[in-house]
Amino acid sequence: MLFVESLNFGGGDLFANYRDALSGVYLETLGRTLYYALITTVVCLVLGYTIAYFIAFKAKRQFAMLALVLLPLWIAIIIRYFGVSLFFLPTGPVQQLFGTDFGVLFTTRGVVIGLVSALLPFAILPMYNSIQSIDDELIYASEVLGATPLYTLRTVIIPLSLSGVVAAALFVYILAAGSYLAPALLGGPADFMMANVIEQSFTYDLDLAATMSVVFTVTLLILIGLFNHYANISEVLSDL
Amino acid sequence: MMKRLRRLSFYPVLLVVYAILLVPVIVVIATSFTVQSSPTLPTNGVTLEWYNTLFQNFRLRNAMVVSVIVATATAILSGIIGTITAFGFVRSDIRAKETLATVMLLPLMISPVITGVAFLRFSSHLSIPRGLPRIVIAHSVLALPFVFLIVRSRLLTFDERLEDASMALGANKWETTVNVTIPIIGPALLAGMLMGFVISFGEFTATQFLITPQTTTVPIIIFNQIQTGLSPEVSALATTLVAVMIIVSVIGDRLG
Repeated sequence: MLFVESLNFGGGDLFANYRDALSGVYLETLGRTLYYALITTVVCLVLGYTIAYFIAFKAKRQFAMLALVLLPLWIAIIIRYFGVSLFFLPTGPVQQLFGTDFGVLFTTRGVVIGLVSALLPFAILPMYNSIQSIDDELIYASEVLGATPLYTLRTVIIPLSLSGVVAAALFVYILAAGSYLAPALLGGPADFMMANVIEQSFTYDLDLAATMSVVFTVTLLILIGLFNHYANISEVLSDL
Repeated sequence: MMKRLRRLSFYPVLLVVYAILLVPVIVVIATSFTVQSSPTLPTNGVTLEWYNTLFQNFRLRNAMVVSVIVATATAILSGIIGTITAFGFVRSDIRAKETLATVMLLPLMISPVITGVAFLRFSSHLSIPRGLPRIVIAHSVLALPFVFLIVRSRLLTFDERLEDASMALGANKWETTVNVTIPIIGPALLAGMLMGFVISFGEFTATQFLITPQTTTVPIIIFNQIQTGLSPEVSALATTLVAVMIIVSVIGDRLG
């Protein structure tokens, strides 16, 4: 219903707005947004899969480890970003320990680290669910038949947990792309993403903001549609 | 031995992941106790002074009251609407149910900035009063998918024969609802509502478009303070927020 609303107030205009929204800086921002979201997704998937695999198969205290993954989800995202920035600030522990902040704050790296930190739980949970539901017998069978652990991982475990991976990628990508706070708090002006540009332009050019909202939402919905082809979102969500 | 080694090889990644997840929150909490006037780790002594200044600041106290009111109202509103929608989905056979369910989840997928902008335009069209009403409705929209998902998954495993039995034993519809249906879905509903409370309590992005000077929420104040100048007071404020959220989520966990 919100989508229709945003279409109504933006779409009724002439195409001039669309030409604006799809040119120069704005197109660049859209590209940057999709690119940052992609890096974040890749990092989250790699780290998340390792952890999900460990918790599902190797961990001794599964429950406690999962609880620690879930805990940050309950804490407001603004507080977690604030923590990330405190961590890297000139007065923060990194600076005190290493004497340099590795150029994290107010750069692309800062934004990506922040996004990864905020979105990792969304990557771990669906992947953990799907790895967890793999029948142990299948893995055992693979081992009995002489497959090395790595071969088992590649031919049995990863294919069977693919739906979880797709779900995780979808969540992280969508949430990362829509993020406003990470670039606002951890990035420099050159790292602004769609959400920030929409917020800025809202104060001086409403039509442009509206048009960008539509363009951005449509872009993401197309991506979701592509994803949905492989995994049903609402099915995946109800697993959580 | 090999097994042990293989387990150990995971440890560096484990360390990185848990550090990424937990260190930010720990840093925020730790810096709220510093004796210095900027938020640093309390390496030489701790103090509660910043909590003291925090609670003497009228603006901040006011924001906390607003946040609690908004979050409570959001929990109730999204709880009612979410439950009704979940019932509608599980108990009826409308066509395109799956598509509609996906639409229900749209607020999760659309950037909250767009939700905020759209809602601001939408609510001035409908002349929804500024301040609390707008914030509460917007937060409810954002919390709705969660309530919906939680209640729906409970309803899917609901044995409808229990309601039939109640009716067969002579209870009317109302009695059945009060004595059978609500007690069974109650915990899920409450868990969903607490989730709504937590979401509303921490929401910044969409809220920034809807506040008025009198109705400012805590996340907005935190954001402004981070932008204007860092004082350990921000850490203390954030820590207070964390405490409320963890308490609420523990209650929610017990119930769900």
